[in-house]
Amino acid sequence: MAAVLRAFFGYLFLVLVVRIVGRRPGKQLTPFEFVLVFFIGGLALTAIVGNEASFTNGICQIVTMGLAHYTLAWGRSKSSRFARLVDGTPLILLEKQNWRVNTLRRMRIKNDDVIASARDSGIGTLQEIGQAVLERNGEISISARAE
Amino acid sequence: MANEFATKPVEDSIARVNGEVAVGEDLDFQRKWWRFENGAWIVFSLIIILDLAGLFGRGPLAKAERRSSDGTLDVKYERIERTDSPSILTMQFGAQAIQDGKIKLYISQSLVKGLGTQRVIPEPEITTVGKAGLTYTFSASEPPASVDLALEPSGPGIYDFVVGVVGAQPVHAKIFVVP
Repeated sequence: MAAVLRAFFGYLFLVLVVRIVGRRPGKQLTPFEFVLVFFIGGLALTAIVGNEASFTNGICQIVTMGLAHYTLAWGRSKSSRFARLVDGTPLILLEKQNWRVNTLRRMRIKNDDVIASARDSGIGTLQEIGQAVLERNGEISISARAE
Repeated sequence: MANEFATKPVEDSIARVNGEVAVGEDLDFQRKWWRFENGAWIVFSLIIILDLAGLFGRGPLAKAERRSSDGTLDVKYERIERTDSPSILTMQFGAQAIQDGKIKLYISQSLVKGLGTQRVIPEPEITTVGKAGLTYTFSASEPPASVDLALEPSGPGIYDFVVGVVGAQPVHAKIFVVP
């Protein structure tokens, strides 16, 4: 019982923390962000599993995590407000040749991240970018400027 | 039986701005979320500060000391403990505690069960099981003499405990165990 609750609340807490820590462009995941992902995962594992290292406990906690994730995904598909809460909304970083400086600052994204994504989309200069959007999954999508 | 190949005509329900697909940005929501994030960072910082201070155990605020009114026993313990985490409760005896080269120490059942006494250091010569606790007998020469209990609480809660030298004033205290 306690192990299942630990798994459930552990999952919810991790979702909250990861949501607050912020979206970073996935392809530009830096080494220190890798450390964050693995470290948080390891710490969560220690706290959630505790001293109950049995196979039964493992199965119960995995099933709990799966169910919690399913519930979250179901909620997202049923309610756009809930989806917005869990995933956030896309955010424009650059539009009409102007940086959205406040969004960049609040999302802890540098111009370099946008330029790297532009290069990835085959765009070499800032002048060619029509719009740069930070998507909900943390990717930066770039659309070329209309001629 | 549900039709596994049920279909529905495609409708262009995507919002558009000037003929282009809308990004779906919701800055009003995002501003509220940023405000929430600011609050969350303050809460996270507070958690760390309180943890360093020992409000969740293992820090200056968690350490406590109680002395029996007749001075036979001085107990150093952590008033805030963590589930499944080891700690030491130290009992120091006064000169009056030693009778005929022996110390008879009574500990309540809550120290054994709820607070999970794992070991008694040094090992007692005799352990007597009583109604609401245990009595340990140790050989002792002269003060200062001390006995440690290695605790490892198995679950969260508030636990009252009593320790005392048999025939002397006991020490009553509480330990709060966090999850």
